[in-house]
Formats: sequence, structure tokens, C-alpha cells
Amino acid sequence: MNDHLDHDEFILAYYGEPGLGIRREHLAACDACSAELTRLAAVLDRVTPGETPEPSEDYEARMWQRLEWRLAAQTRPAEPPARATLIRTRSITRWLTAAAAVAVAFLAGILISRSDRVPQQIAATKPAVTATATPVAATGVTEQQRDRILLVVVGDHIDDSERVLVELTNLTPNGKTDITSERERAEELLASNRLYRRTALDRGEEQMATLLDELEPVLLQIAHAPAQVSPEELRSMQKRVEAKGIVFKLRVVRADVRNDRRAPAATHLQQPTI
Amino acid sequence: MQPSDNELVEQVRGGDDDAFRLLVERHSRPLFRSAYRITGNAADADDVVQETFLRSYRSLASYDSRATFATWLHRIAINCSLDLIDARRRREGRIDAGEDLTLLPSSAATPDRVVLSSEMQHAIAAAMDALTGKERTAFVLRHFEGMPLEEIGEILGTRLNATKNTVFRAVRKLRHQLQPFTGSLT
Repeated sequence: MNDHLDHDEFILAYYGEPGLGIRREHLAACDACSAELTRLAAVLDRVTPGETPEPSEDYEARMWQRLEWRLAAQTRPAEPPARATLIRTRSITRWLTAAAAVAVAFLAGILISRSDRVPQQIAATKPAVTATATPVAATGVTEQQRDRILLVVVGDHIDDSERVLVELTNLTPNGKTDITSERERAEELLASNRLYRRTALDRGEEQMATLLDELEPVLLQIAHAPAQVSPEELRSMQKRVEAKGIVFKLRVVRADVRNDRRAPAATHLQQPTI
Repeated sequence: MQPSDNELVEQVRGGDDDAFRLLVERHSRPLFRSAYRITGNAADADDVVQETFLRSYRSLASYDSRATFATWLHRIAINCSLDLIDARRRREGRIDAGEDLTLLPSSAATPDRVVLSSEMQHAIAAAMDALTGKERTAFVLRHFEGMPLEEIGEILGTRLNATKNTVFRAVRKLRHQLQPFTGSLT
């Protein structure tokens, strides 16, 4: 009778799991089973976790920065529903008002600096400025003008982001690769990405906000990478870009944004299909 | 004196988001390490940590102090890691959990490649990557973290026998993939 341990019992024995009972006595007495356990151990002992990279010193602060704005949109835990809703509404309103004010001021600034790139769009918005349009006190920019400005600058932001990601994915992992240019551009894009994401959230454009939210950690990884990356590091970045399908999503949104830019001035910013 | 995790949880429940910031600062790093061991990727581990805190914030009302806050967070992180691996595999159109990879030719690096690269860790990473999300997670928890099978089952929501079988499958697949590189094996 063959009473040797089976594969699963060897695994239980290797991990010292209970449940083998008298089979342990057989294992101790049987040369063949002992040899087989040694062979299994020879494989499993070599499976070690490898080195875990240590996050940067400001990891906790960066994590909180990323979480803070998302937590603001969530129901506070363990609040009675009515109070929680009230607090959330107040909190979101306060937060979004501040974000919107910053965004409009910032976008207006960008508009001025890029005025040579957007004269047609601005001109197109002028007839739409009517008594029904809501002026924004801080800048004098109306809601409709803001829509158009947002389309222009977000469209440019998406174009620039896509370009950086495509360049990165086209690099060949071969020895040390210099990504200084991609890194610097990712760092610049990161700051504006956060602002656009907040603005998109403010305006209830969840899909745009989601896309920009997905883009942020990708840009973050590139911005924080060393200037010279190893093939493994480059492959890791490329894999991440490809795994998220982010370039494809950016192209889809860019096409939608371009269509919106061609649409009549009064048209509200459409939800892009991601 | 620093407030305990449970004291901070109470403060968060009372509306103090700053207390949650302290919990984030206290637990981000260990969660990152744990998530990295399961996902094998720093960027993914980063995403897991963020998602873990979002999920924990949403369900803080259900935290009942039976387990420590760190353990509770760790469990959420494990499930986030598993979700991320599964989602990634779906996107990549990888073989699903039903297929037995031990019946397929090894997709890990060949012995020649390993000799050339002199990096056994690459072969291990490739072999780990061939596991399903659940197999990988169960194996990491048992093999790297020494977690009892019962606890792994609780986290993964599987019975003890199913948990054992998941670990058995993971070990069989790893052995199949790595056997060519261990000289003492037949």
C-alpha cells in the first residue's frame, strides 16, 4: 500500500500546519517523503519577498494631500444621516466655492498668457454675455466664458499630457535612459492637473474628474522618477501607462473637447465619454 | 502623549478630519509595504494605500475595535490589492482563475535567461505574476507574512478548505515555474 504523503500534505507539512496527525510520523520515518519535502523546501525557501522600496520621506504628507480633496466629497463616518448631509453640503459648498474661485482666477490668468492661442474662442463667447449670464465677481468672467476657457485650457492640458505619455511609452528600455524632459513636463502638468480636476469636480463633471484623477498618479510617478532610469524603472512606468489605458482615454476626451470647442458658444461643457 | 488609534477613530467619528490625517500619517508606510508585497509594484501599492484610506473612511462607522485599527486597515488593504490585481488581469485579458497553469508550459523566464540575468528574483516575480489575484494574495499572506490559514480565509471570505486549496494551487504553480531553476530538484 502506498501511504506516502500527497502534494497537499507536503505543503501543509512545509508550513507546519495542523491536521497531518499521524502522517507526520510517516514523514519522519519515510526517506522518500523526507526527500520530497526537502525538494519542496528547496523551491519555497527561495521564494522571498525581495526588497520593498521605501517610499519618500514626505510620503505621508503626499498621501494626505491626495486624500484630502476626495474625503471632502464623502459622507462623514458615523454621523446621523440628516446631520451628515448638512455637514457634507456645507463642507462641499465651502470647499467648492474656494476651489472655483481659485480655478477661475487661475484660468483667467492662463487665458491672458495664452491669448494668442485662443482669440477665436474668446470672440465666440462675446455674444453669449447677456443679462442671464452669471458674472463671477472676482474676475468679471461669465459662466459661459468660463466654459469656453475651461475647454481651451483643458484641451491643451490633455494634449500635453498625452504627448508626454506617448513619448515615454515609445522609449526603449536599454541601459540608463534620460527622461529629464518628460520628468520636468510631468511636474508642470501635475500642478495644473490638480486644479483642473478640482474644477471638474466643482462643475459635476465626474468623468473628466475621474480621468484627471487617473492621470495624476501617472504624472506623479514620472515627475518623481530619477533623471536617469534603469530599464526596470522605465518598464514599470510604461507598464503603468499601458495598464491604465490612459493614452486611449486621453485621446477620446481630447476628441470630445475639440468637438465642444467647435460647438456654439452657449453650449455647456459636455460630459466626455471615457 | 500621542492619542491611540481608537481615540483618533472616535475623534474622526465626531467630525475631526484632522484626526484622520494623523491616522493616514501613522499607517501609510506599513500599508504601502504590505500592498507592495501583494501587488509587486510600487505604483499599484501607492494606489492601494489611497483606496484603503478612502474605503476605511467610508466604513469607519462599522469599525468595532474587536481587531486593532491597524489589523482592520491591513485587511482592507489586502482586499484592495486583490481587487487591483483582478482588475488589471481583466484589462490585460489574462487567463482566469479556472484554468490550471500547471498544465501549461511554464511562462516564467527560461533557465538560460535566469542564468544570463543572474536574477532569481526575476523568475520568482514572473512566477508570482502567473498566479491569480486570490492565489497570489493567499500565498503572500501565508508565505511572507506567516498568517494562519483561518485568518486568510476570513479576509478573503473563503472557507478553510477553499483557502487551503488556494494556497495549494499557488504553491503547485510556483513550484512548476521555479523547479527548473533549483538544482536539487528532480
